[in-house]
Amino acid sequence: MFGYVRPAADHLSEEESRAYKALYCGLCHTLGRRYGGVSRWILNYDFTFLAALLSGTVATEQRRCIASPFRARTAAVGNDALDLAADCSVILTGYKLRDEVLDSSFLRSQGCRAAGAVLGGAFRKACERRPRFAGHTKEEMARLLSLEQRRCATLDEPADTFASLLAGIAGEVEDPVQRRVLTQFLYHLGRWIYLVDALDDLEKDAGEGQYNPILLRCGLQDGKLSGEDRRSVVVTLDASIRQMAAAFELWDFGPWSGVIRATVYDGLYRVGNAVLEGTFHASPRKKDRGGKKEHI
Amino acid sequence: MNDPYKVLNVPSTATDEEVKKAYRELARKYHPDNYHDNPLADLAQEKMKEINEAYSTIQKMRHQSGGQASYSGQGGYSRSSYGGYGGYQQADYSQGTPFQRVRFAIQRNDLNMAEQLLSAISDHTAEWHFLRGAICMRRGWLDEARRSFQQACAMDPGNGEYRQALERLENSGQAYRPAGFEVFTSDCGSSNLCGGLLCSYCLCNSCIGGTMCC
Repeated sequence: MFGYVRPAADHLSEEESRAYKALYCGLCHTLGRRYGGVSRWILNYDFTFLAALLSGTVATEQRRCIASPFRARTAAVGNDALDLAADCSVILTGYKLRDEVLDSSFLRSQGCRAAGAVLGGAFRKACERRPRFAGHTKEEMARLLSLEQRRCATLDEPADTFASLLAGIAGEVEDPVQRRVLTQFLYHLGRWIYLVDALDDLEKDAGEGQYNPILLRCGLQDGKLSGEDRRSVVVTLDASIRQMAAAFELWDFGPWSGVIRATVYDGLYRVGNAVLEGTFHASPRKKDRGGKKEHI
Repeated sequence: MNDPYKVLNVPSTATDEEVKKAYRELARKYHPDNYHDNPLADLAQEKMKEINEAYSTIQKMRHQSGGQASYSGQGGYSRSSYGGYGGYQQADYSQGTPFQRVRFAIQRNDLNMAEQLLSAISDHTAEWHFLRGAICMRRGWLDEARRSFQQACAMDPGNGEYRQALERLENSGQAYRPAGFEVFTSDCGSSNLCGGLLCSYCLCNSCIGGTMCC
């Protein structure tokens, strides 16, 4: 479900790209510091985007790491926002792995079980640090499971679980206005991610008989969505992106404004297009961009 | 009050034309149409008020006599409603028709109450579907919202309020975007749009040591 949130690179200045990379490195170091080296493999750009939404100005430092042992890279110095992003990343990944154990073929589920066992200690620690968010995530995942079991045929209801789950991260933020803006932003980010993932898995789920709300809501003709159904999905995806953009304009995200702008006014639309056209995986395959193996 | 030039994000040396352009860009950004049935509408309304005041102040400072007239020419932006349910100045839920009570609850962002009131109405008219759509909109249930607005429009095709709600949701290119941002999710297919994404992969890879080629 992860890997879809990307800023459009051509709308970023050199400086913004550099700062975003430094944030990525900073989040990686934060994960390592808080949860040990093995937790670093969960890192991906979606979690970096989360860190951008939560961070204001960050200091940077030069650090070497396992991916760059000889040349030091610029990395954001850890702060409360990176800690929060790291904690939530571990909790989300932990639940995602559990979900896949239930959801997958035997071999794949064994893989997820093993990964879950490796992450287990980190997951427990993160849940202790963020009991409110962990409890909330548990509830929403249970709600999603029950919707899947009764094969709920609407888009909004199952999407609401993942959307509410992400929106729950905003509950950890102090400022009341920032919390409201982030709640709305993260709700629609979660909704969009859930639906774009369902769109992405449409053919696979149809073949394997897996739960897919778009499949149940729309049905396929000759293995494809009808023109009208395609439009319904596009309208609802774009409407969520516009809600994110509208929320974005109501809070000053400081140095991360450029990255967020390049995501909500362009990047997400491009990802949606690529998924719709079936070209999203033309580059790295899905399992390679799920935030797992490539970061070791 | 804040420095009006800061609010409009222009230097105090900006020309009248530049000030006006900055004002218009911001007014377009926080326009009620972008925040209709949005739980953050009140924040957008505050922003708009701030922008209007800043523009008005600059106009007054620069043109002691003629400024007021040119400002009021822009007043259209502040007149539109953010809630879309104005005109119901009631004090509690006991007044008005059942539909007015639902609108009142929506306006107060009391969505559970609105839903409860709506479910008590057994006659599912066009307005019923419209109001259901408005509640779904605020909750972020955008697919259900669209279906409800479509139903309302099908039952009462001549109603402008219902049609506008549907058009806003389906957008059709009306919502604010900064200059230079033009990509939409397209339902008619265009394969060259993922170019910028590949660059994102590059951005990703360059950070982790370029282990994947793109």
